[in-house]
Amino acid sequence: MIQTWIFKDQDRISGFKITGHADSGEYGRDIVCAAVSVLSINTVNSIEQITKIMPLVDSDDDNGGFLSVNVPESADADANRQAQVLLEALELGLTDISKSYKEYLVMN
Amino acid sequence: MEMNLQFFSHHKGGGSTSNGRDSAGRRLGTKRADGQAAKAGMILYRQRGTHIYPGVNVGRGNDDTLFALADGIVRFERKGRDKRQVSVYPVADAE
Repeated sequence: MIQTWIFKDQDRISGFKITGHADSGEYGRDIVCAAVSVLSINTVNSIEQITKIMPLVDSDDDNGGFLSVNVPESADADANRQAQVLLEALELGLTDISKSYKEYLVMN
Repeated sequence: MEMNLQFFSHHKGGGSTSNGRDSAGRRLGTKRADGQAAKAGMILYRQRGTHIYPGVNVGRGNDDTLFALADGIVRFERKGRDKRQVSVYPVADAE
């Protein structure tokens, strides 16, 4: 079971944390895992490369199953807005996955 | 981050891929954000390969970890056309 937390600081999303394993299929065929992986990793890479904000990333790259991201505020208002859109899109995607695959993903 | 579509999946056979050696997960990524203060020796960025390059007052360990060589303020900067570097500027120069 994957667990996700979206951290909010007043009206902005300041980060997120995702832990656990989906176990919705064998390795290489775990579709829920793949969906959550691509959403979360692409969000980190997009924030880094599109907004140029450097998120604080803590990830267990050996065993997987742990990703904690903190997105600091930038002096650039546009960059902050872009980052928020990316984070809101992540939240939307994870929420929709959790509706369709309740037994594999929980939004805390 | 490397795009690993099985990042949230149990590995083959459920064990660690590192041949039975159950090493603690290597936590990669940024350890000090842009604008944060850093002390000499402090780790700024853990990486495999030079995703980010060492800039002013920053050293690179043999595992590509970047660390501060002096006290100061952390700055993530552009390096050339498409590369990034991290520098540490003593407080007086950081403004």
